[in-house]
Amino acid sequence: MKRALVILVSLATQTAYAHKPSDAHVRLAVSGETITGRIDVALRDLDGALGLDTDGDGAITWAELTGSAASIETYLAQRFAIAGCAITFASGALVDLSDGTYWAAPLAARCGDTNAITIDYRLLFDIDAQHRGLVHVADQTLIVRDGNPVTTTLGAGTSFLSFVKEGIWHIWIGLDHVLFLVCLILPAVFPRKRPVESLKAASVEVLEIVTAFTLAHSITLVISAVGFIQLPSKIVETAIALSVVAAALNNLVRVVDARWAVAFALGLLHGFGFSSVLIDLGLPSSELVGSLLGFNIGVEIGQMAIVVVLLPILYVMRKTLAYQAVLWAGSGLTALVAAMWTYERML
Amino acid sequence: MNRSRGRKLTVLVLGAFGLAGALTLAAVAAPSRRARAATTYTPTDPSQIVAIVPARAPDEIAARRALAASPEHVELAVTLARADLARYRTLSDPRYLGRAQATLAPWWTQADPPSDVLLLRATIAQSTHAFGPARADLDRLVRRDPSNLQAHLTRAVVATITADYAAARESCAALASTSALLAVTCEAPLDGIAGRAAEAYARLSSVSPHGRADARVRGWALTALAELAIQLGDFDAARGHLRDALALDSEDSYARNLLADILMATGRMADASSLLAERDQIDSHLVRRAIAEHALHGPDADKLVGAMRDRIAAAAARGDRIHLREEARFALAVDGDATLALELATDNWHVQKELADARLLAEAAAAAGTSAAEVTAWVRATGVRDVWLEQALAKVTP
Repeated sequence: MKRALVILVSLATQTAYAHKPSDAHVRLAVSGETITGRIDVALRDLDGALGLDTDGDGAITWAELTGSAASIETYLAQRFAIAGCAITFASGALVDLSDGTYWAAPLAARCGDTNAITIDYRLLFDIDAQHRGLVHVADQTLIVRDGNPVTTTLGAGTSFLSFVKEGIWHIWIGLDHVLFLVCLILPAVFPRKRPVESLKAASVEVLEIVTAFTLAHSITLVISAVGFIQLPSKIVETAIALSVVAAALNNLVRVVDARWAVAFALGLLHGFGFSSVLIDLGLPSSELVGSLLGFNIGVEIGQMAIVVVLLPILYVMRKTLAYQAVLWAGSGLTALVAAMWTYERML
Repeated sequence: MNRSRGRKLTVLVLGAFGLAGALTLAAVAAPSRRARAATTYTPTDPSQIVAIVPARAPDEIAARRALAASPEHVELAVTLARADLARYRTLSDPRYLGRAQATLAPWWTQADPPSDVLLLRATIAQSTHAFGPARADLDRLVRRDPSNLQAHLTRAVVATITADYAAARESCAALASTSALLAVTCEAPLDGIAGRAAEAYARLSSVSPHGRADARVRGWALTALAELAIQLGDFDAARGHLRDALALDSEDSYARNLLADILMATGRMADASSLLAERDQIDSHLVRRAIAEHALHGPDADKLVGAMRDRIAAAAARGDRIHLREEARFALAVDGDATLALELATDNWHVQKELADARLLAEAAAAAGTSAAEVTAWVRATGVRDVWLEQALAKVTP
């Protein structure tokens, strides 16, 4: 009875899937001489190529699939290559896309040179002539329409300035980074029980905070972008949201008065977040230093712009009730919103 | 003292509300973080079903093996490709087109393959809107085998869609010796486009649909009757024919779409939506339901509109442009983007020229405030009369 129910449920979800021609997705992140990524291939397509439904009942169980894992890996290894790179596949998992469940095979490659990447993708064309391999790398999508290799040059379309721009942009659209910074800056004009005497005093504290934040996220950005330490993005994103909660709560209960220390300690987390954005943009080996520097400068420009606007306003209103309202209500709400993010990102 | 405390409180409350508003706005308006790969998972229960695949008949598995052993075995390849094409038709799942094409790979680029392969190749090409290559194969096939009924039928359809009416009539006529109903059904849309919808409707009504003809032919005749009735503005009759067609074959997506179009054009959005419910996997159904629910501000509107956007994006990502008609309609009805709709409808018009395509182009031109020169030229050349097209053209700036 239970099994029958499961089949019915599965069928019901199956019919909701889109009818699309066959696509496989290859997502590659280039960072220096390392390429990491994942190949997502529809289970239906793998079944067509390899016969995963070993008992032929029209339903592939997880047991049937794990039994075929080795042959899937061989199939991928034989039909997917990046020129000049040694690829290793990690064990696969599942991922649900709009037209069904896919096999997701993580891969890592060591390459000599990643300025020009040539991808040799030959999956599935022999059983489905309208199959397409969609290779997502550095904000581009290369379409493999047949078994012929495709090449992309990284760095050709990117310049130092474009990385600066990406850095600024990322700070401005990254509400979590902005809120973190704002929470740290809010009390700078009202450090303890009274407002600051001069704009200079407030500026010094803000400068300390911003410098500490910059130093911290630069360290982790660099060590993560060059592939020294890489953390799963889910953990990083959740931790970043949590750091915003902490910064906001610290304004309400004032546990740590040295906000520059908070900026440094929790800023380390934000660097990992920046690096995943940067790797998504593509970091060819020859331009690693330039793009890292450009992106980081962009991030600094972005946050300075926020500080330059915010600090004088806070300074002017520091003795008013409105300032207290902003400090308390703003920090409280930020803590609330960031707690929500934390919960969402944990899921 | 009291007054100042009151002021304090007011300022605090106002400040809190203002901030809450600003934050909510920022949280909603902030662009979602860079699109990431979806999250993976591994089931813990080994018996969990992770995918439903078509159960393969043992003889098909045997045939596949035999073909793998001798890939040039044309009869075997044709049988297997036909099976996949049949699946494509019943399931509307385009994957099977690619499967059929791959099975025919040894003959796919041959100039002069066997007749069975030519027909299959043309059918697959037609299904992906590659009407030029389809037509070339069909012309070759009817020259080689003038009595090939299916070849004439497909050729008539392709020629009608691409506005080569002389060739379409020629192939329709070739059907007459086999089946009067088939020939009359084949000619009905041609007469409709030639401005003789009333005569065509009377003639087709007299030969259909009581006969003992194949259900597919009767279904085709019923939708042809419905299209003529629409041209004449008799929507009640059209609805009746389409309900009959759906009674014959509930999976007739063409008839279902046409019926939905009538309901939507007559303001019955909720009825159109429920007619298409549970069929979102087919793009042409999804786009109509998304438009209907969007117009109704229904609870599913956002979900359906989002799903359609995803389909359009997915097709674009793989470089496909076979949904121009649906995309143009979506741009017009949901996004109100007349410029984009006009661009898409014009591109679509250069691929296919059915009445539905003409209406769409006229509507897009009317919304964009430009002339619909290509449609008016077509109307003048053919003499077509159509209630919906005339309504759309009336709104076009001359």
